[in-house]
Parts: sequence; C-alpha cells; structure tokens
Amino acid sequence: MKMCVIDNIELIFPMADRPILRNINYSIEYGDRIILLGGNGSGKSSLLKLLNRTYQPTTGKIYLENKELRTIPLHVLSQKIVTVTQDLRDSLFFSLTVLENCLLWETRFQKISFQIQKHQEKVFFQDYLAGFHGQLPKKMDVCVAALSGGERQSLVLALCLLHPPELLLLDEHTSALDPKIAANLIKYTERLLEEKNITCVLTTHNLEIALKYGNRLLALAEGQIRLQADGPEKSFLTQEEVLERCYL
Amino acid sequence: MDIILTALSQSMLFLPLALGIYISYVILQATDLTVDGSFVLGAAIFARLLTANVPVYWAFLAAGLGGALAGIGVSLIQYKGRINSLLAGILALFMLYSINFDVMGRPNISLFNSPSLGSFLGMNDMNGNWIFVGVVVLLILIILSLLLTTRFGLVLRAFGDQQQLLKRLGHQIEWYRFFGFALSNFLVAWCGAMTAEINGYADLGMGFGMALTGIGTVVIGRQILKPFYKQHHFHLLLEFGGCIIGVCLYFIAINEFLAWGVNPVNLKLLLGLILIFFLSLTTKKKQGFSA
Repeated sequence: MKMCVIDNIELIFPMADRPILRNINYSIEYGDRIILLGGNGSGKSSLLKLLNRTYQPTTGKIYLENKELRTIPLHVLSQKIVTVTQDLRDSLFFSLTVLENCLLWETRFQKISFQIQKHQEKVFFQDYLAGFHGQLPKKMDVCVAALSGGERQSLVLALCLLHPPELLLLDEHTSALDPKIAANLIKYTERLLEEKNITCVLTTHNLEIALKYGNRLLALAEGQIRLQADGPEKSFLTQEEVLERCYL
Repeated sequence: MDIILTALSQSMLFLPLALGIYISYVILQATDLTVDGSFVLGAAIFARLLTANVPVYWAFLAAGLGGALAGIGVSLIQYKGRINSLLAGILALFMLYSINFDVMGRPNISLFNSPSLGSFLGMNDMNGNWIFVGVVVLLILIILSLLLTTRFGLVLRAFGDQQQLLKRLGHQIEWYRFFGFALSNFLVAWCGAMTAEINGYADLGMGFGMALTGIGTVVIGRQILKPFYKQHHFHLLLEFGGCIIGVCLYFIAINEFLAWGVNPVNLKLLLGLILIFFLSLTTKKKQGFSA
C-alpha cells in the first residue's frame, strides 16, 4: 500500500546552473526502509527536504496518504514526518535539559497548556530513555549541551520514536560519528524500525551501508534517479555494479 | 547608608524594566531596542490619561497595554517585513518617538496635581507610591515565576533556543514571538508609568538608554551568578536573582559614582565601559564553550 508518491518532481534553485532534482518519480510503501544513496551534490538531502516540506518542488507534486503534501497543516505534518540530520542542533534544544527536550517533543501531540511539570512525567521519561542509553535516565536535569555525542544521538532517536512517526527521514545522521559507533547506531536503528514497523528513508554515501541495510535502494546522481533495486534484486547487487551504474 | 537605600529603591522601581529585558534578551534571545520607546509610551499614556481625569488604575493598566501593543508592533515588523529583531527595534523606536509625542501632545506633562498611584491603596503620598511599586514588583515576580514554570513557559524558552525545531514540532512560532515581545514591553511600559509617577512628570526624552540599562543589569547579574549555574540548567531563583542583583549593583554604582563627584554627564560613559567589560566576559566564555 502506497504511503507517499513523488510525481515527476523537478527542483530548480534561482541562480543555479542546473536543476537540483529532475524527473523524480518514486513511491514509498508502508514499512519500507529505503536507503537513498548518492555522492555529494547528488540531490539526496534536497529530496528529503522536499519530503518534509522544507522545500517546495518547482514542478510536480508529492502526495502523502493521497493528500498533496503542501495542503497538509504543519502540526499534522509534524506528527506524520520526522527528520533527523547530521547536525543534532536541528533535532535538540541544546540549552534545555534532557527532560525539557522530552516534554517539548511530547507537544507534537499535545496542546500547549499552562500545566506545571509533574514528577510522574519525569519518571515516565526516565523509564523510556533507559531503553535507549543507560546514562540518559541519570541525566534528566542536565542540559543537552553537556551530553556526549553518543548520548545526544541516542536521545534524538528516542525522541523520534516517542510517538513513532509514519515516515522517518534520516539524513546522514551518523556522518559526524566515528565509523564503529556509526555502524552500531545504524544497526540499532534498523532493528528498532523493524520492531516498530516504521517507514524510513535513510540517506548515505557509504556503499557498504547502502547494500547491507534496508529493503529498497534508490541511488541518485546529478539530480536524477540512476538505480532502483527492491527486495531480492537489492540483495544481489555488488558494490562494483552500483559504482558503475551510478557513476559514483 | 543613604546611598544604598536610594539605590535599592531605584532598583525596585527599575526591576520590571530588567525583567522585561530578561524576557526578550535571555528567554527570546533577541535584542529589543523598542524598550527606549515603550518606556516613554507607558509614561506618556499614564500621564495623559491621569491629566484627563481617568481613574489612576485605568491609566496604569492602559500604560501596560500600550507597551504590549508596541511589542506586538515590533513583532509584526519582524514577521511581516522579515526584518531582524535589532533593526525592527530601531525602526519601532524611531516611530514611537512620533507616537509618544502625539499621545502626550507636548514634550512633557507634570503630574504634581494629579492623583497618585498610592491613592489606589488609600495613601496619596510618596510612601503610598513606593508601597504600590513594591506590590506591583512582587506581583510581577509571582506571575512570571508561575508562567515560566508551565509548559507554555518552556515553549517560550525553546523559541529562544531553536525556533526552526519548534516549528518542525508543529508550533505556530509567531504567536510566541508576539506574546514574548508584548509581555516584555508591557513590563517596560509599566516601569515607565511608575517612573513618571515617582518623578512627578513624564518626559519625551526619559527613555534614552533604557534598553542598554536593562541589558546591562541583566548581563551583570548573570555574570555574577555564573558560578552557581550548573551546566546551564534553568533555575528560577538564579534567573530572577541575576536580574535583582544586576539592577541593584547598577544603581549602587551610579549612586557611588555621583557620591565620588563624577560629573553626571560622564555617567553613561563609565557605565558603558563597565558593560563592555561584562559583555566581553560573556563572549569569551561562549568562545571557550564552543571550542
């Protein structure tokens, strides 16, 4: 069943010498874990920014659950789509504490009130965060700025999955980490997404990750789709074949 | 001792100004120069209404609402004109000069023959005025404490930290901007009205340097309490304590300088130098943090 349809998208920035994206036709189904592969400037991040409505397409349309994306109210969209980028400042309030970040992410589904913070809320989030990182429950009143990189990454993931979105967009979210931690995090993310059956698009320029994880592969080069491989077809792809077909 | 008492009473009078600046400068992380104009606007509305025989409580309330309107105005300049907060504040200040003159109808209004704020408490003298100021300041502190500990207060603080993330979480961030600037200028306008009452007149030039005075008091207080901040954790006592200590030190410094025989004309120069010292401390700490 189709969740999102990208219909003949073109994205052109003023002053740019060539389109950032062109002739993009693709559909995302419920439960898909799509790896979006491409080199620098291939258009991966721009495609995600079209999906979360940061950018508007120059031509073409995007549909989410049969509704045109631009017609969906912002607060509804925030419940359906969550984006995590490599810059964690895009996902966390650095001057606020871990608990305050949890309470703010909770507002995606709550009306803002003049309610005062309750002790039960702290206990709830402590229990919840314990499943993601052993240290986070002890640091509920510590500012995010004082957390380690790993703790921040775990917190972002925990916040995204607090109320699982229908579509999770991960834009090279591990690129700031060292390879070993990055590999572990991707493995952990993949397991969580599978458990909770969350549809996800993960961008990377790492061929190994692209072939190892996810059930669909979409490769971009120079703003165009160069390769699509789903299910079994993806599992037979080799690094050489992808390199050759994508001119990476 | 007299100097300390004078400084403390002046500090109490100017605490709403420091708290107003605290809302815009620390909570919303915006430099709002509108304050120079909204301070006078509060005084102007209050004085004009009092001289028109409007009851003192209505005049005082209208002064605050006038300031809130100025705050909404400067937010609209930022939002609709896509102009940054500093420039929007300068523009609003520029326009408020004319508005203030229109409200007053002349460059200054004397309040010596008008009913005083103290009459609200049944005391039509200077002591009554000071008690009224004390009660208002206490009420402001209580209401702000309650507001900032609610979920709404948390969202206001988040607005200052990361507006775009707040927007992605589905919030209409412009409402928070409107509210924050309105609240800030409301407090500043009340400070203007109370200053006019205590001084006995409202004057078109009485707001000069108020934004810098407010920022100075907030920065000085926060720098002094810096060792008590634990990993930048928000704590109401420290936040308000910083404003109170900052405003007290500021006025103690002014009164000490005057007692040492410093020419009042040179006061702003000296205070400016002190402010540069404290602001540079903040910048150095920030550079060290990010490195």
